[in-house]
Amino acid sequence: MVTTRSRSRTPAPTVTTTTPAPVRPRTPSRKPRKKRTARSVSFSLPALPFPLASVLHPLRSSSAQWLLLPVLLSVGFLFRWAVGLGPYSGFQSPPMHGDFEAQRHWMEITTRLPMKEWYFHDLEWWGLDYPPLTAYHSWLCGKIGSLINPAWFDLYTSRKSDDPMLKLFMRATAIASEYVTYVPGLIFFVRIYGKQNERSKYDQGIALAALLMQPGLMIIDHGHFQYNAVMLGFTVLAICNFITDHLFWGSFFFVLSLGFKQMGLYYAPAVFAYLLGLCVFPRIDLQRFILLGLTVVATFAALIAPLYFFGGGLDGLLQCLIRVFPFNRGLWEDKVANFWCASNVVVKLRETYSTTTLQRLSLAATLAAIAPPCTILFLYPRRRILPLGLSACAWGFFLFSFQVHEKSVLIPLMPLTLLLAGGLDRDTVSWVSFFNTLAMFSMYPLLRRDGLVLQYLVTTGLWAYLTGFWNLPTDALGKLVQIGGYLGMVGLHVAELAVGPVARFPDLWVVGNVLLSFGVFAWAYLWTVWGLVKEVQKEQKKKSQ
Amino acid sequence: MTRNHPTLLEVAVIATAFKLLLLPAYKSTDFEVHRNWLAITHSLPVKEWYYEKTSEWTLDYPPFFAAFEWAMSQVAVYFDKDMLRVANLGYDSFNTVLFQRLSVILTELVLVYALNKYVQTSPTTQRKPAYAAALAILLSPGFLIIDHIHFQYNGFMYGLLLLSIVYMRDPSTYLRGGILFAVLLCFKHIYLYLAPAYFVFLLRAYCLGPNFQIQFGNAIKLGTSIITVFGIAFGPFAYWGQIPQVLSRLFPFSRGLTHAYWAPNVWAIYSFLDRFLIMVAPKLGLHVDASAVNSVTRGLVGDSAFAVLPNVTPRVTFVLTLAFQMMFLIKPFLYPTFDNFLASLTLCGYGSFLFGWHVHEKAILLVLIPFSLLALKDRRYLAAFRPLAVAGHVSLFPLLFTAAEFPIKTVYTIFYLLTFLTAFELLTPPSSTPRTFVFDRFAQMYWLISVPLIAYTSLFHGIIWGKRFEFLPLMFTSAYAALGVVGSAVGLGYVEGLGLKKQVEEEREKVE
Repeated sequence: MVTTRSRSRTPAPTVTTTTPAPVRPRTPSRKPRKKRTARSVSFSLPALPFPLASVLHPLRSSSAQWLLLPVLLSVGFLFRWAVGLGPYSGFQSPPMHGDFEAQRHWMEITTRLPMKEWYFHDLEWWGLDYPPLTAYHSWLCGKIGSLINPAWFDLYTSRKSDDPMLKLFMRATAIASEYVTYVPGLIFFVRIYGKQNERSKYDQGIALAALLMQPGLMIIDHGHFQYNAVMLGFTVLAICNFITDHLFWGSFFFVLSLGFKQMGLYYAPAVFAYLLGLCVFPRIDLQRFILLGLTVVATFAALIAPLYFFGGGLDGLLQCLIRVFPFNRGLWEDKVANFWCASNVVVKLRETYSTTTLQRLSLAATLAAIAPPCTILFLYPRRRILPLGLSACAWGFFLFSFQVHEKSVLIPLMPLTLLLAGGLDRDTVSWVSFFNTLAMFSMYPLLRRDGLVLQYLVTTGLWAYLTGFWNLPTDALGKLVQIGGYLGMVGLHVAELAVGPVARFPDLWVVGNVLLSFGVFAWAYLWTVWGLVKEVQKEQKKKSQ
Repeated sequence: MTRNHPTLLEVAVIATAFKLLLLPAYKSTDFEVHRNWLAITHSLPVKEWYYEKTSEWTLDYPPFFAAFEWAMSQVAVYFDKDMLRVANLGYDSFNTVLFQRLSVILTELVLVYALNKYVQTSPTTQRKPAYAAALAILLSPGFLIIDHIHFQYNGFMYGLLLLSIVYMRDPSTYLRGGILFAVLLCFKHIYLYLAPAYFVFLLRAYCLGPNFQIQFGNAIKLGTSIITVFGIAFGPFAYWGQIPQVLSRLFPFSRGLTHAYWAPNVWAIYSFLDRFLIMVAPKLGLHVDASAVNSVTRGLVGDSAFAVLPNVTPRVTFVLTLAFQMMFLIKPFLYPTFDNFLASLTLCGYGSFLFGWHVHEKAILLVLIPFSLLALKDRRYLAAFRPLAVAGHVSLFPLLFTAAEFPIKTVYTIFYLLTFLTAFELLTPPSSTPRTFVFDRFAQMYWLISVPLIAYTSLFHGIIWGKRFEFLPLMFTSAYAALGVVGSAVGLGYVEGLGLKKQVEEEREKVE
């Protein structure tokens, strides 16, 4: 008991012998290990047949290894900046403009108005509807921007500004925010998870490169314009802490993630299940449970404290809550590749059922979808399966929950792509490549509206090429699914280009996009759940031996 | 057969993706220049090409380039017909930009092909360094900045140059190399600066035998083919009696000595010195030409007048260039090996860049590209190459002065220098002779100075002085880069001179 208490106070990963947490296998499987040793013997050829591995090949020698990080970071930066040369959402498109204007506007209200008014100010014009950490972040960016040119954030007069220098500044804040949260998170994660799975430095480098070149996040944050990387970054940092048994730090970062963007909730049930599992197995650890709860509450309290003290007390908090969770909106807004939108092609849901019914239906479906991954995470809280579990849970939300945006696909994609750090076997790379490519396709209607078609084609094409999309998975069904997916994607693009808008079905191409993407995403959900099941089977087999 | 990783193709694909993303980036007046040429060649009869002057950007490249523009205009029709109207000045619709940028990216494939050929023809032991050099050229910030942002077709031109260099490797393809170089001259006459090296090498290796006996067959073959090439290019214009007009377009000597202070050559140091002397002249009792001091442009545009130092005429620059080049043509004449040819080519580039009249900063590629092939020979060459790599690329920075492109040019160049100077370091064998090179320390110091310099010119100058003294950052960059280029030239010249001395001595020993 004494040891337990001391461990709870200083959660260090080194104390594995006394930890009440289940002893996690250092070598999760035999297969990748064999592969790796084979590769380290032969120096002339990389074993991996995709261009990204080939490109980083010269950097695998120990004398050039120090270059890996500077090269990846600068190349990542260059591509982000180059994508940013293009237009952003709502560029010169009245009346409402878009996310860029929203983010700029929040910098305007946070720097020019007292905190009391932040969540109340002129809600019709891009009222602040993100949690407090976003507001603080906007305040910081706005303060810095005001040093350069105060007119960018002047109250009212700055609205709809399309000053090219403002664009540059905003682009710079998006990249800087990503490089202080998400990118360090990725570097830590690739090192930690890579080491736990016995990957070489070279393999870790490939995984990091792939994660940095992930097209979806790149084009949404730096093309369309948002700060998703900050939320995702806090989540990655949380995962880094969870898999090194720094549970309290992990919870702290996860709450920051939620405090930045409520979309982080897609992960929340999985995180909760994982932590709960660690508190219950192999024996119940009430102390840890309570301390985790306290960490979460304390972090939340710290996040909302300024709002409570300077932002109008409880009323301010309540308003913040109402703004952040708009339950009175419809089931979906734009065409999204989720279950509701896809089935709407057959059954006109919104006309047949009331909003309340739909909300209940959606809640039930979501719960059903996230139940399997959460149960597995709860029963087998293993480090190795955490990314897979988070992804499966997020796919559940994306497919069945209420008010989903097409951009939200980034949330399940992030932990899915993290899997590369755990192994670069053919199936993993192939599926990660496929899902990311098709996710880009699912966002095509949005990106086209933003005028980012060129950037869409280039980043998607480059991603597919780098990850070797032609390396299909080993099983026949997988091959079929991927070939179907790729052909469908190319076919729809070509057909739209050749035929153009069809008068009788103005939404034809978008609906086609939704149906194909929904199919792929549903498959992605099944794939992640199936991956979890396989891990569990592997563990049970080992136990029985 | 071991494959190089990554392959040139893989790197080219990634680089191309990046270049495509630069489509909306800043483009200089050269973009309009080339659009205008597309329009001229498309809509006017050949007879009028060199007379048309609706736009101030008249056609001033040789006929093959004009023909190339005409060929491209046949495709441009399908993108946007409006770009092909001569009177449509400054037209830049999305499709126009798309077409022009794509044409640069696609014609650059010639460079990829030439580099691949270069690697293939390298001796097996030299494959790896050759490959590193090829990648360095393919990814050169020079092409990125000048071609894909600023807008020109250097990738294509240097592709042809490299291809002809590759042909100079094997005696059986000397003729092809010579013809290709002649063709290149008819595309862009800036390569005339490299012609002395080609002339001497082909004369010695192709038209003369090992003991200097004349090879009549070869001489006639080479002579007639080169005359044919020039005949095809300039013949029609000669027939119409337009040669004086064409030449006046190609060689506009009315321009100033220095091109806007930028080209980091001897004249940049000269101007810098002159400005410095203006300040100290009263104390030394020197005569100061008041009109030059008050010259508004201060060399920013066109003519630069010197206040204290004597003015420079085109004739002086011409003599200096040729004299410098002559010094380094002795070695390939005596020992016509491929390496000696490369070195003389590089030094010819240096000669013209350092002493030439109205040199563009872009001309640094004339030195950078051949030198990249040579840099990995041994450590002494690399030591001379390093300051050039830094200076040459930094000197291109003023070409892009817009805020959006600042991070691209700096981050890309730093990434490039870091990667390739490290790779070169790892791949370069130590020199066969002991290193007595004084420039080692200089090279290291040099690289460090670039950081505060870039910070000053792009950030602090604006903060301290605002809009005043706009020529200062340019002059600093130019003088700094000039120091590096001159240092590097002296370094290479020294190594080459030493090599010649050694070879001559060895020969003498053999005879004795």
